[in-house]
Amino acid sequence: MSTDQITTKQITTKHISVKRYLPDSSAEPYWQAYDLPVDDSTSLLDALNHIKEELDSTLSYRWSCRMAICGSCGVMVNGIPKLGCKTFLRDYEGEIRIEPLSHFPVQRDLVVDMEIFLEHLAAVKPYLIDDNPVKPYDPQAPETYQQSPEQLARYKQFANCINCGLCYSACPQFGLNPEFLGPAALTLAHRYNLDSRDHGKKQRMAELNRHDGVWSCTFVGFCSKVCPKHVDPAAAVNQGKVEAAKHTLIALFKG
Amino acid sequence: MDKLSTQRLPLLKRNWWLKHRFFKLYMLREATVLPLVFFTLCLLAGMVALLQGADSWQGWIAFMGSPIVLALNLLALAASLFHAATFFVLFPRVMPIRIAGHSLPDQAIVAGQWAGVVAVALLFFWLLGRV
Repeated sequence: MSTDQITTKQITTKHISVKRYLPDSSAEPYWQAYDLPVDDSTSLLDALNHIKEELDSTLSYRWSCRMAICGSCGVMVNGIPKLGCKTFLRDYEGEIRIEPLSHFPVQRDLVVDMEIFLEHLAAVKPYLIDDNPVKPYDPQAPETYQQSPEQLARYKQFANCINCGLCYSACPQFGLNPEFLGPAALTLAHRYNLDSRDHGKKQRMAELNRHDGVWSCTFVGFCSKVCPKHVDPAAAVNQGKVEAAKHTLIALFKG
Repeated sequence: MDKLSTQRLPLLKRNWWLKHRFFKLYMLREATVLPLVFFTLCLLAGMVALLQGADSWQGWIAFMGSPIVLALNLLALAASLFHAATFFVLFPRVMPIRIAGHSLPDQAIVAGQWAGVVAVALLFFWLLGRV
């Protein structure tokens, strides 16, 4: 729908079904349907807030910023991972089925346990590793952390990740093998490897260049389709494969 | 109650790729290998037939001319072109080419790859036309 057609004057009723899971009362998940008033500006997050405030206070879900920067409101909408705040009900005709993010353990309703994702992020050392003996506060090294716009451009796209985890829900390889480091972690590793201020590539390669690292990716590419920040994790992971192959070759000749 | 015991993690079923169009297209891309395996087996059989002698070679030529084999090999050609089309689009994302500090536009890399396909095809048509 183009923006000039959007109106907040016309209020209609839409049905959404939410996959409920309340381990305290029932061991099995079940679908619950809600009818709610929506206009063209109603986001899925607005809808969930409406349910929570007006219809059913027992519903659990995560949210914070409502502007696609905190990355906490990820859910499955008709089987596709989406940010609740960036998804508008006007774009859906007929059935709207809301489920918790796939491939993560569900704690309650739409709330998943993202611990394994955070472990994978930490495993790739996603921070500047600097082996320069001259530190920036040293008067002898005024240019240590200078970076040109060209150097910034090399990794900037990969630095836009908000850790929402949508790419992990989109990745069948992560679904089949949770030990796979996964799109976001491998992208973040690549982002630091491309950073001109960083010297930690060698340390990260140990994690990247193994079966559960870049080599578990088969370039399904769905991670890049669902990414709300256009980071293109599939590109980063597969550039990581090229880097890992180079690393192996170089190690082979160095003996 | 113990936190972990109440968590629910549905396992991915074997038919996960039937869930939506994107996964089906991915599986189609991966399945293009099947008719290509048939084609390479045909080529291998041709080599063996060539070593075995003239009768065997004539038999292989007759086999390659049969309608089912022709249809399967046409399918292999279509499959490899489809695979190439998907692969060429992915290539600039995996290996972005930078010349003198500027990255080459994706379309240029894709077009370059197709130009390569056409060049190789023309070369083979020329070589086979001379025989």
